[in-house]
Amino acid sequence: MSVILGRLCEGFLINCQLFGLTLLFSIPLGLLICFGSMSRFKPLAWLVKTFVWIIRGTPLMLQLLVIFLGPGLLNWGNPWASVGNGRLWAAVVAFVINYACYFSEIYRGGIEAVPRGQYEAGEVLGMTKSQIFFKVTLLQLIKRIVPPMGNEIITLVKDTSLARIISNKEIIMTANEYASKGLIWPLFSTAIFFLVFVGILTLLFGWFERKLDYFR
Amino acid sequence: MSILEVNHIEKHFGATQVLNDISFSLEKGQALSIIGSSGSGKTTLLRCLNFLEKPDGGTISVNGNVIFDAADPSTQQEKEIRQKRLHFGLVFQSFNLFPQYTALQNVTLARELLAKERGGESKESIEAAGRELLAQMGLADRASHYPHQLSGGQQQRVAIARALALHPDILCFDEPTSALDPELTGEVLKVIRSLAEQKTTMIIVTHEMAFARDVADQVIFMDGGVIVEQGDPREVIDHPREERTRQFLARYSEN
Repeated sequence: MSVILGRLCEGFLINCQLFGLTLLFSIPLGLLICFGSMSRFKPLAWLVKTFVWIIRGTPLMLQLLVIFLGPGLLNWGNPWASVGNGRLWAAVVAFVINYACYFSEIYRGGIEAVPRGQYEAGEVLGMTKSQIFFKVTLLQLIKRIVPPMGNEIITLVKDTSLARIISNKEIIMTANEYASKGLIWPLFSTAIFFLVFVGILTLLFGWFERKLDYFR
Repeated sequence: MSILEVNHIEKHFGATQVLNDISFSLEKGQALSIIGSSGSGKTTLLRCLNFLEKPDGGTISVNGNVIFDAADPSTQQEKEIRQKRLHFGLVFQSFNLFPQYTALQNVTLARELLAKERGGESKESIEAAGRELLAQMGLADRASHYPHQLSGGQQQRVAIARALALHPDILCFDEPTSALDPELTGEVLKVIRSLAEQKTTMIIVTHEMAFARDVADQVIFMDGGVIVEQGDPREVIDHPREERTRQFLARYSEN
């Protein structure tokens, strides 16, 4: 049993790596996509919106397969074979793109929810555009996006197990191997890993929301 | 020389002409009230003065210097607009205080940012000045409150202190009491009245006729984007010459 739990922990480490790397890259990339979709240069905004539509409109599982298998099928060779952890990095790329698109829409909602009067008040007080962004609107924006971001990030925790579709030996895949040999409890016990992780995140987000509770 | 001279300002929103040949001047230390029904262009005029809207025609001069000329793009450069804005202060109808800052921080923020850029004033002296302004507004004990902890009247007084902190040449009020419960308008009007007594140069867009008559040195009545009548408040409000002014004021006294 301790051997099995050890294997499950190893598997969950992959979920955690994928989770961390996805957040690290998709949070800033989402901001870039958000600015693109709000650009006053219409062709760019249109292009970015189409991209977001495609990514949000197709299953993440399919995107994983396209990213991992696509280059080979197009006879571009297999870029994932040349890096050490190719399968994991392919999953990271697919997850980052997917989550950046969702985040970009959350950011956009947050930006548009800050009243115009806040910008105007900053302007008439002689502030620059960047002063207004960093000193006036940023914190209001963060306050508005914390709850939807929390939601999305919790979804990400569980989505990481989709990486098994391109043979990343994450926790569900590990447990499934036991299940196919007739040992079912490891599969059910994976729930505990996810519950604990999400529990910690929930506490963290609750704490952060309370931190920002001092203003409205 | 007038502190403010506005000449032939025009503004369109699409096909609608919102301001049509607006000209007036204001002397230092005087208060000007602008009255008129909603949609008459009063607010747009204030927004033009504060560079929140760009007029399609006309000029604006402060202390004899042309700071805006619709025909001269060199007067409209982004970098200078920031500087020119500081001639004016604006108090909004809906306060627009920054919710994440205390009353005192609201008052000091812009001045601290300016001081950081240009050097000069220390943070301590800016803070002391901010506290003084709040005290002047009767809010000495509210300095560390956040906007949502204050009543509408208190928020608007913080907003006035915030505008005053940058020492604008001309302080503009855009219907400063319209968003307030009736029992709270008094405290805000009282503050504006005391500013008038201290000879603060002001432009006040308002629906409070009695207040406009008492406080202002000059009144402008606007309708449909034009100045219908302007002059001494007791003349314009008590003895209007124009039919349109009479109709407007009659509607007011009915309510």
